[in-house]
Amino acid sequence: MEKSNKTTPLYSWHVAKGATMSAFGGYLMPLWYASAKEEHLAVITAAGLFDTSHMAVLSVDGTEARDLLQETFTQNLEACVGSAKSPLSAGRCVYGAFLNEAGEVIDDSIIYQSGSDAYMAVVNAGMGEAIGRHLSEHSHDRQATITDRTDRLGKVDLQGPMAAKILTKILADPTKVLDRMPYFSFKGHFDPAAAVMDRVILKNGTPILLSRTGYTGEFGFEIFTDQQHLLSLWEMLLEAGSSYGLTVCGLAARDSLRAGAVLPLSHQDIGPWRFINHPWQFALPFNEDHSGFTKSFTGSQALLPDKGSEYTYAFVGQDLRKVSSADDPVVLDAHNKEIGKVLTCATDMAIGRAGDRIYSIASPDKPDGFTPKGLCCGFIKVNTELSVGHTVQLKDKRRRLSVTIVNDVRPHRTARKPLREMM
Amino acid sequence: MKEITQLNLPEDVLYADDHEWVRKDDGTVKIGISDYAQDQLGDIVYVELPQVGDKFDQKEAFGSLESVKAVSELFMPVGGEVVAVNAGLEAAPELVNTAPYTDGWMVEIKPKDPAELESLMSKDAYVEMLKGL
Repeated sequence: MEKSNKTTPLYSWHVAKGATMSAFGGYLMPLWYASAKEEHLAVITAAGLFDTSHMAVLSVDGTEARDLLQETFTQNLEACVGSAKSPLSAGRCVYGAFLNEAGEVIDDSIIYQSGSDAYMAVVNAGMGEAIGRHLSEHSHDRQATITDRTDRLGKVDLQGPMAAKILTKILADPTKVLDRMPYFSFKGHFDPAAAVMDRVILKNGTPILLSRTGYTGEFGFEIFTDQQHLLSLWEMLLEAGSSYGLTVCGLAARDSLRAGAVLPLSHQDIGPWRFINHPWQFALPFNEDHSGFTKSFTGSQALLPDKGSEYTYAFVGQDLRKVSSADDPVVLDAHNKEIGKVLTCATDMAIGRAGDRIYSIASPDKPDGFTPKGLCCGFIKVNTELSVGHTVQLKDKRRRLSVTIVNDVRPHRTARKPLREMM
Repeated sequence: MKEITQLNLPEDVLYADDHEWVRKDDGTVKIGISDYAQDQLGDIVYVELPQVGDKFDQKEAFGSLESVKAVSELFMPVGGEVVAVNAGLEAAPELVNTAPYTDGWMVEIKPKDPAELESLMSKDAYVEMLKGL
């Protein structure tokens, strides 16, 4: 076990519970506790709790903080919220990426606006320093202060249809907090001194930042708090969730859930190649007819006009079998010509085929007695344009799998469900 | 993850350094994976096995185990011809996790060279190897 890996404040808890631990992003994190499959299924049918304290958090404050983010982030902060494309405002957050001048991804991020001149960028494990440096380099003489908060902050994700019911039991004022909280909004702050419109306080007085976001495709929340409160928050949630089927989950379930939800893993599905021609077009500031961007930003000149040499697509397989990422699997077209490589291949254990459709165990219209074994899914990057419904082969040293290019994988996800339906 | 002292490591099987086990029967041997291996792999969701009649050399890959996260190859602890496969694993691959030495067995083979069995480890030698990992 490498000594250089960091640990989160919940490390001893994970080990005491017998978790299988693994290094990820410079941290020793739980891969699974008893069963990755049961953890995956719990998030879809009940709720799961994840330690995500390995993720890095930067504060970007000052009168020109917005201007700095507008220059460096792929979203147009003046037109990114909801279908109306409203400006980002206090209490809202938005997903996008930071690119280099060549239009390649340094990391993806969710940007939170907490006040008129106060922002927070949540980036991936180990990326706080790189993104902090990137922002500093582009800041020039702007009035913007960048602070890495990672080592003071803890974060847990409460994901699944029971998440709001569980939260209700630990919030000091759940009726107020859980009223009007659309997808990609947040309330409160982990710093009691921060100037925010509304505080979110637990019954024991702990201040938290509560965000209606997540990385599973399911309804739920990400919760930020000071590291000193993390273990008590974790234990409080587990106790509150015990009657709702709340299950602690590791990174394996997080990976299979996000793959079925068609969400990218940074440095694997997006990375040092141009951030264009991929399933996450919503992360770019396209104009209405998709002919150009509504703003220029770091890397935008390299993205458009598109030279079209690489395309990333989501796929789903015929059954649960995967190709092995350790073998550097490749993508073959109908003529057995190699056209690209496999970025992610995971199994969504909650879905299966019946007739010509994919159902989830959460699908209200699933066939009687539906007990899926799972379907392999993920992302490929190829050198030719493919259309939805197109079949390609994934090949590793052991097997060839026929998979279909799709827009979406796991049906009937709950992430965007109105909160009032989940109480 | 189990500590070495928590592992179920029966004395009536021999162990290979790839974590397969072998149990001698009357002229044939049954093969599976150890409790250590199933604990490391996590939930087994699919088992790919050879067909009766297939022949393999010692150390040759004869199938694969698929967990939620990864696909791992199975290696023959001794060479020989497959005389039976555990068909029950198709419907219930989790037997590899829940009963690795009994209902979770994978193949039964007729060894080509019984002397190859001598290259395998006793429980005590296997425990020593695990301590070094």
